[in-house]
Amino acid sequence: MTIREKMIEARPAPGLSIGPLAWLRANLFSGPVNSVFTLLGLYLLYVLLTPTIQWAFINADWIGTSRDDCSREGACWVFVNARLTQFIYGLYPRDELWRVNLVFASFAVLIAWLAIPRLPFKRWIAVVTLLVFPVVAYVLLYGGYFGLRLVETHRWGGLMLTLILAVVGMVAALPIGILLALGRRSEMPIVKSFSVVFIEFWRGVPLITILFMASVMLPLFLPTGVSVDRLVRALIGITLFQSAYMAEVIRGGLQAIPRGQEEAAAALGMGYWQRMGLIVLPQALKMMIPGIVNTFISLFKDTTLVMIIGLFDLLGIVQAALSDSRWLGFALEGYVFAAFMFWIFCFSMSRYSQYLEKKLHTGHKK
Amino acid sequence: MSDQATQSPAGAETPMVEMRGVNKWFGDFHVLRDIDLEVRRGERIVICGPSGSGKSTLIRCINHLEEHQQGEIAVGGVPLTQDVKRIEQIRRNVGMVFQHFNLFPHLTVLENCCLSPMWVQKRPRREAEAQAMQYLERVQIAEQALKYPGQLSGGQQQRVAIARSLCMHPEVMLFDEPTSALDPEMIKEVLDVMVELAREGMTMLCVTHEMGFAKTVADRVIFMDQGQIIEENAPEPFFNDPQSERTQLFLSQILGH
Repeated sequence: MTIREKMIEARPAPGLSIGPLAWLRANLFSGPVNSVFTLLGLYLLYVLLTPTIQWAFINADWIGTSRDDCSREGACWVFVNARLTQFIYGLYPRDELWRVNLVFASFAVLIAWLAIPRLPFKRWIAVVTLLVFPVVAYVLLYGGYFGLRLVETHRWGGLMLTLILAVVGMVAALPIGILLALGRRSEMPIVKSFSVVFIEFWRGVPLITILFMASVMLPLFLPTGVSVDRLVRALIGITLFQSAYMAEVIRGGLQAIPRGQEEAAAALGMGYWQRMGLIVLPQALKMMIPGIVNTFISLFKDTTLVMIIGLFDLLGIVQAALSDSRWLGFALEGYVFAAFMFWIFCFSMSRYSQYLEKKLHTGHKK
Repeated sequence: MSDQATQSPAGAETPMVEMRGVNKWFGDFHVLRDIDLEVRRGERIVICGPSGSGKSTLIRCINHLEEHQQGEIAVGGVPLTQDVKRIEQIRRNVGMVFQHFNLFPHLTVLENCCLSPMWVQKRPRREAEAQAMQYLERVQIAEQALKYPGQLSGGQQQRVAIARSLCMHPEVMLFDEPTSALDPEMIKEVLDVMVELAREGMTMLCVTHEMGFAKTVADRVIFMDQGQIIEENAPEPFFNDPQSERTQLFLSQILGH
C-alpha cells in the first residue's frame, strides 16, 4: 500500500524539447531519411525558384510604352503596364473611370468595416451594404440618371466585371442557398420536392451549358422586342447555379447540428423561423465557413467562363489583348498577371475565412 | 375555448396536465399505450421505469416534441391540437430540461437565458437580462453568466438549462432524465436546485432514476413498463410496499445492488 504524503510540483519541460532548435530537429531532421528529404526539398526549391525570380523580377522590364522597351531576357511587364487600365476596367469610357473607382472604393470601405471587429454600427453598415449600396453601384456604373452618361454593359470588362459577377453571385446565392437547404429538409412535400428538383437540376448541368442556354436559348423563349441584358442573363445563370451548390453545403451544416438544439428552442416556444434563424443556422453556417468560402472561391474562378458568351472578364480581356499585333508573344506575362490577380482575391478570402473560424469558435466541439 | 389567453383558464381544479387515452407508435412500435394521467397544479410527479418503457416519450408528448396519434392531451385546460400557434402557446407555458442540457453553444450563458424572453415574449433586453441574472443567481451560477456553455461542467450546464427554462415563467416543468448524463459528483448540485424548485410549489414531472429525489419531493411516483403505466402511488407505499411484480423487480434491481 502506498500513500503520497507530499504532492508533486509541476516541473519545466527538459531543455531540448522546446524552442526553434528543437522544432528543427523534430520536424526537419528527425532521422537520416527525413534529413535527406529536407535537403532534397531545399535543393528543389533552389532549382525552381532561382530562374523564376530571375525571370519575374531581376531580368524583367517594368517601364516603357512599347515592346521595344523590353530586353526579352526576363518578363516584359511593360505589356501589362500599358494595358492595365483595360485589364481593370474593360472598355469603360476613360473619362468616366472615377465612377468605377468610387464604387470599388466604397465597397472596399464597407467590407472592411464589416470585417474589422472593433468598428461600431455593424448592423447599419450591413443594411447599407446589402440594400443601399447595390442601387448606388448600379446607378453609378450604368448611369442614365442624374446626368450620368449611360455606359452599356458590353463596355464593362476586366477585373471590374469579374468582381461584379463574383460579388453579385455570392451575395445572391447565399440566401437562396439557405432557403433551398431549409426547403430540402422541410416536411412540406411541395416545398421539399421543389427544392430537391431545383438543386439537382442546376447542380447536374455544367455552368458553361447554363451560360450558353442563358445567352442563346433564353432570347428564343422571350417574346420579340423583349430583351434581357447579356450581363444580367449571365448573373442569373451564375446565381442559380451557385445557389444549388450553396444549398448542398449548407444542408451538410444543418445535418451536423444535433436535434436537441432545435428541440430545446422549440421547448422554449420559438417558432420555425426563430429556431432556424437564432439557433440552427448560426451554428450550421459557422461550421460550414470552410465549405461556403470554398464555394465562393470556386465561383470567383468560374466567372471566367462568361468568356464563352462574349463577356470580357479579367481573363477574357487579357486573352483579347494577347492577340494585339503590337504585343504578340507576351502570353506568359498576361497569364501570370491574370493568375496573380485571381490568386490575390482567392487567397484573401481563404485567410479571412480561417480568421473567422477562429474568432467564432466558442469552445464547444473540440 | 378556442381563443384563450396565454395563461391557462382560471380555477385551481383544472388539472395542469391531463392525458386521456393517449397512444403513440414509432412506426410499428407501440410506445405509449392507453395513457391516462392527471397532474394537479403544484403536484410533483416522478416517472421511472426501465429504458424503452416510454417514459421520456410520455413527457415529450406534453409539449408536442413528440406527436401522439390517439387520445387527448390538455395543458392547463388548453387542448393540444395540430395547430402550430396553439402548440407554441402551450410550449411557452411548459419548461423542459433535457438529459443532454441542449444549451445553445454559440451563445453565452446569459444570452441562452435571454433569447426566448426577448424573441418569444418580446420583452426588452434590459428586463430580460435582469431577470436572467436573477434566475442564474438562484441556481448559483450568476458568476458564469458571460461564459459559453462549452466552458462549464455538466452540472453547471444543467443548472443553466433549468434557469433558462424558468426565465419563461412556465407553469409546469418537465425533466427528462436531468442527471443521467452527469458525473456522480455533479448530480447533487442539480438535484438540490430541483428540490428547491419543488419546495416553491412548481408543478413538476420528472423522469429520473434518482429514487432519493423521488422520496424527498414526489407527491406521486409512476412506474412505467412497455408503454403503459403499471403502478402509481405516493412514494412511501410505492417504495415500501410495491403491488405489482414488475415494480418489485425493477425496484429490487435499482435499489438492491
